[in-house]
Parts: sequence; C-alpha cells; structure tokens
Amino acid sequence: MFLADFSIHMQSNFRSWVSRSVRVLCVAAGVALTGCASVYVDTATREVADTEIKRPAIALPAALVFDFQTNGAPNAAATRFLKDQVAAQVEKSGLFQVVPTAGGNTALLNITINNVPITKDAAQQGFVTGLTFGLAGSAVTDGYICTVSYVPADGSPTVSSTARHAIHTTMGNATAPANGVKSASTEEAVRTMARQIIANALRDLSTNPQLK
Amino acid sequence: MHTLLKLFSLALVVLTTGCAQMTMGTPQPTAENTASLRQAKLEEARVGAFTLDAGKPAQMDKGHSLRGAQMQAPTNGSFAEYLRESLRVELAAAGLLNPQADAVISGFLTHTDVAPDIGTGTAALSARFVVTRGGAKRYEQELSVQSEWESSFMGAVAVPAAAQQYEGLYRKLVGRLVADPAFRQALSK
Repeated sequence: MFLADFSIHMQSNFRSWVSRSVRVLCVAAGVALTGCASVYVDTATREVADTEIKRPAIALPAALVFDFQTNGAPNAAATRFLKDQVAAQVEKSGLFQVVPTAGGNTALLNITINNVPITKDAAQQGFVTGLTFGLAGSAVTDGYICTVSYVPADGSPTVSSTARHAIHTTMGNATAPANGVKSASTEEAVRTMARQIIANALRDLSTNPQLK
Repeated sequence: MHTLLKLFSLALVVLTTGCAQMTMGTPQPTAENTASLRQAKLEEARVGAFTLDAGKPAQMDKGHSLRGAQMQAPTNGSFAEYLRESLRVELAAAGLLNPQADAVISGFLTHTDVAPDIGTGTAALSARFVVTRGGAKRYEQELSVQSEWESSFMGAVAVPAAAQQYEGLYRKLVGRLVADPAFRQALSK
C-alpha cells in the first residue's frame, strides 16, 4: 500500500491540482506501457563517514519516536515502512541508546522526515545546496526535510538539527538528472534517502555542544 | 506486459475512487508537545474518560467517509478514544502520567469532520477538556483546530492526503491544550 501511495505521491508536486492529476495518469500509463519510471537520489546530500559522528563517551539513553510526514501531516504507512531502519541506524550511530518507552526520566529523540513538493522556484533558490532541478516537464522532484530533536528529561531546552534531501523521478526515456544516482527501485531510493538524510542530521546534532 | 495492463486498469480504478478502508496510525508523542509539557513544570495527572459529547450523532465518533473510503480510529473505532490516547502518550513521554494521580483530565468530542473535496480539502476537530483536582473542577474549555490543503480530484492522491491531514489534527489539538495558560494553571504545582 505504501509503495503504491508513495509512487503516486511522487507525481503530485505541481501547483495546479489538475496538472498534478493528469501527470499521475500519465505516469501510470507510462509505467504500464513502458515500465520505465526511473528514480534518482540526489547527490547534494551524501553518505556520512563514521568518523564524522562525534560520539559521547556513553551513549545518551533516549526513547525514539520516528514520524514520516507528507506536507507536514503524519503518514502512518510511510512511518511503518521506515521505522525499523531508522531505529537500527540510531543505535548504530553510537550517539543514543534507544530505550523502549518515553517517560519522566527518559529523554525523547524525535526524528521527523517531511516530504514536501519542490517547485521550480524552490529548487532555483537552493532547496538543497547544489541541487539541480530535474528536467522541466519530464521529471518530478520530491524534497525531504529531516528534523532530529533531542528533548532532555530535565526540561532543559530541546537540541535540534535539520538536513535536506531530494529524489527525482523521470518517465519513459527522459535523460537522467545530472545530480542523481539511479536507484534500482522506489523502495531502494526511499531507504537510501532516509539513511543519508538522518545520518547528516545526526552528525550535525552530535557536534552541538548543548547535546549532553 | 499483460500483468502491467491489469495493474494499470486497477490503478485507474483506485486512482479515481481511492482505497476501501483506512485505519489511522497509532498516536505518538511529538517533540514539541513533550518539550512544552516538560518545561511547564506541571503536576502529574491521569487521563479519565473521553466520550462523544451528549446530543452528538453516534456516527461522528465512529468513522469518516473519504470519497467512498472509510477511515476509522485504531482505538476501539472511536475518535474520542483516539484523542484520549493522543493525550495519554504525550503525558507519558513528558513524565506526567500517573494512574494514581489526584488530577484527572477528561474530555468530550464535540466536533470532527474531514472533507477531501476537489480543489481544497478541509478538516476540523473540537473537544471540551475538563481538569479536576480533589474532585473540584479546575478547568473546562472547548478547543478547536482545523486544516486546509490542496486536494486532488484523483481519489488515490486525495484520500491519503485527507487522512494524513485529519490525523495531524489530534496532535495539534493536544498542543493547543498543553499551551493553554488556563490548563497549565489548573495543573500547576
């Protein structure tokens, strides 16, 4: 259900809802007739080397809450799709020790990935530094904003960091975007994007002196 | 190719009519609400009953029809219970939930609606919250939140978007409650 919803959602990034809906039908037709909807993960946001993470001497215990949103609204299906991958990545980072339940003596680690439409203006203004907007009329770009928030147990201020990423989708025989690495599938693209965007946000959070 | 054409035909049907049944996601605490509650230095509380307000049609609490698709809550099929759970997880995350607490927060669902109309979708949620301490009512207030968004004529796009926007209202409404100075005063230490 999520993959079908996600594939359709990736076609819905245009101002006009009529244009968006027509493009949805065109994608469906394109996929049905050619089987050639290609997805590319943008290269402006990259993998994070293990050495870039500034780990504390002891991992900070925190209850993890992951929330995937679409235009700021909770997307339960996408959250279920990615939550195990996110939890494993947080544990592996060595920054936090994930505890099962949030509570009075436990910090809260909230990770949100918000899928937002990318208009041509937003891309040209640099949604992601170095992002190249896809081919006009033949490519769709989905933007993602990841926010990692650490809410201390003692009521002291929340410590946050954000990162951005993008996935491009082309139809038929359109030329690949210049700043994109082709993924074998939509699922692989989404998982790659999530891994990279969270890694970048965690790295930035780890260097914040208020994180303790 | 035969399989692809079958999928395309199915996609056309789904695209125009949407999905059959949808269940909202399990309520989760949010960083904003948790931080807001932790910083407010409140007394612990327990969550009492949340029910449909008297005089409201029973169906209001049971489900919403989104272009033929039925959306329901995972909490015994009750939106009032879903609101209760949304508040409960936030209190728990902030360390303020205590089943033996003297303070009790209860609620009445007064309005809920979601309309994935072509062009502009809308959703609204209202509830009356009551706080009692030592048996005395310390707070009673009806709070409301709403949302508007660009809504596609394609059901498979519009229906999930509407469900997501509607689900987001519950955490917004809890956020309104925890930010209310009168609510904080009712639970102050």
